[in-house]
Amino acid sequence: MTATIALLGQPNSGKSTLFNALTGLRQHVGNWPGKTVEKKEGSFTHNGNTYNVADLPGSYSMSANSDEEVITRDFIASGKADVVCILADSSQLERSLFMLADYAGISAPCFLVLNMEDVAREQGKFIDAEAIEKKLGIPVMMFSATDTKAYDKFYATLKRALRERSQINVSALESEYEKIGGYNEIKEQLSDNSVPGYTPMWLTVKYLENDTVVSAKLKNELPKDKMRKIESLSVNSEGAVATGECKFAWIDEILDGAVNGRKEKTSLGKLDRIFTHRIWGKPAVVLTVILGLLASFIPALPVMGIGSLIDMLKNVAAEGLISAGCPDFIRGLICDVIIQSMSYVVKMLGFVFGVTLVFGMLEEVGIMARISYVFDNTMGKLGLQGKSVMPFLVSFGCTMGGAAGARVIDNWGQKVLTIALAWAVPCGAAWSIIPMLSTVFFGAAAPIVIVAILLVMLLHMWITAKIFSRGLVKTEDRYGMIMELPPYHKPKWGSLMRYVLGRTKDTFFRVTKVVLLVCVIFWLLSYAGSSDGNSILYNIGIAIEPVTKFFGLPWQLFLAFIASSVGKEGAVGVISALYTGGSYSAAFSDAMSGGGVAANLNEILLANVSRPEALAFIFAITFNLPCVVALAATYQEIHSVKWTAKIALYYTVTALLLACAAYHIGLLIW
Amino acid sequence: MKLGELKENSEAVVSGISGDARFVGRITSIGLTPGCHISIVKNDKNRPVLLYSRDTMIAVNRKECEGIEVTEVRA
Repeated sequence: MTATIALLGQPNSGKSTLFNALTGLRQHVGNWPGKTVEKKEGSFTHNGNTYNVADLPGSYSMSANSDEEVITRDFIASGKADVVCILADSSQLERSLFMLADYAGISAPCFLVLNMEDVAREQGKFIDAEAIEKKLGIPVMMFSATDTKAYDKFYATLKRALRERSQINVSALESEYEKIGGYNEIKEQLSDNSVPGYTPMWLTVKYLENDTVVSAKLKNELPKDKMRKIESLSVNSEGAVATGECKFAWIDEILDGAVNGRKEKTSLGKLDRIFTHRIWGKPAVVLTVILGLLASFIPALPVMGIGSLIDMLKNVAAEGLISAGCPDFIRGLICDVIIQSMSYVVKMLGFVFGVTLVFGMLEEVGIMARISYVFDNTMGKLGLQGKSVMPFLVSFGCTMGGAAGARVIDNWGQKVLTIALAWAVPCGAAWSIIPMLSTVFFGAAAPIVIVAILLVMLLHMWITAKIFSRGLVKTEDRYGMIMELPPYHKPKWGSLMRYVLGRTKDTFFRVTKVVLLVCVIFWLLSYAGSSDGNSILYNIGIAIEPVTKFFGLPWQLFLAFIASSVGKEGAVGVISALYTGGSYSAAFSDAMSGGGVAANLNEILLANVSRPEALAFIFAITFNLPCVVALAATYQEIHSVKWTAKIALYYTVTALLLACAAYHIGLLIW
Repeated sequence: MKLGELKENSEAVVSGISGDARFVGRITSIGLTPGCHISIVKNDKNRPVLLYSRDTMIAVNRKECEGIEVTEVRA
């Protein structure tokens, strides 16, 4: 037997923990067709039966406030799921049953899982699941997704739900709704198959809530006279207040006599008093993130070590191929493109692994919500959520880590905007070059250059936010934060590790394709065959030098700038090669792996490059697109070729403009 | 009075919610409906208001607080 189950629940209901525990490594992250919303699917087998699991996106309700919620609704109504598993948090039962109340009236069969049984028990709450089941008419179970021993009970309830295929008993809820003016009149116009998958009650309630998707569907499906009758009834723009009151009245009725115990205290814990502190809150969360990232690099370092080993393999393979008489072109393709790309990708996986682990843990423990709270105001000014501060912090180390970390942002537009801004943060590779170049050219004035770069970074982010937010963050999405700060939970390491490994594996396959593609393009452009004069890049560089000179970049520096799009470490190696007259295509590929810097680099630079040109070059490579792997990681997170290309092009252009400004300011000074 | 005007540690009851359908939908789905009891945990300048309601700690941005009318209850 094969069955499909869909998981539905509010944030912090433990939905992802359950999903990860059920599916383990057998999960896949993709896109919902035609949408930018992430689709998480997986499968598992139990007692010889195969179950497909869909982790439905969405937030607190079944309304049409976001793409996620509409997708969730459509998926359930389409009948693709044999049963819907609705999760609620036992420790906050009243509030978290809202999803169930909002679901009531959808035809798909369902069952209710009251998760975090352990937390509720610790709070001294006693919940009578049987009494709730009797009133609801669907299977109800107490559960703790973090307890591996509890899963047998879950499988048993799942089986029962698939057998019974029962729907929520809505009579008590409907008698609440009937008190709302206009409810009966609208419902009279509807029949059981007005819109397949939904009952007239559910449709009426959504219409009263001004649900635009439902009213459009009704307009399509209903005869004109019936629709006219519905439209003649005036609907209050705040209809959701009245229906919300009905839902909670019904929840109170369901829970009456089924829950008893202490009321939770309302004061903040010790940790929360620090994290939410007016002055110390921000430093405290930033420090937490940094410490977490540092800790995550301990398990990540061996992975990066493998990446470096692959790099060394490149030289061995190259020698072997040369002695075997392999044609130069083939050798280049194997060593400089394939092996080199693999080395990049594996090194990157170390970062992705670390960042996914730390961010995943912060989210599971509940610290992420505190970060959102302290940075809500600051990030809101850029059109972003409080959480966006995290990818920015990571980007000081590595932009690909920042891009991978942006997945914690649940709104697609804000995610893209966050990554677009994170690119402006100079990464670790830039920080290894800027101080060195600044010291060579500006001596004691080097710190001024670094301060200037930080100021330009802030300005860059501000302007980029202004430019990009118009197309990405719709005005109706510019809502301030309305979110729960969940109680702290202990992380569940097994489930978290499975998730991190699954995510890293997924990233590996997707990113490899992009990196290979971009590396092959760059390699072909720089491939010179027998003499340097044949390379396309060289010829372009020479041909457009009059233009690039205006930006402060002679052809050598311009080619180094282009090389820095692949990897910033490479830029200096390319300059060394070009000014020492070495074979530049060889240097280009050597430089990509971070080597090939001439010993007397300082003298070479000082003899060939003027100070305004140096300033232009520093700004150009700092604010250029970070590297090819960051580009691929960006694509992996935002799933859009168009926006990835837009951001990349934008960065190339702005880097040149900044270089131009720096150059002309430099000319005024020196 | 508006939600944002409440002082730290004060107790109140939500008396009305106003705004567009989306805003109202978001506020009710997190559990804030007319008649529900809230206590203010933190109300710092330039930070969302932290409140406790229906067993849950909730953060509400200052601008969104404008749409939530409350009546203070004296303990």
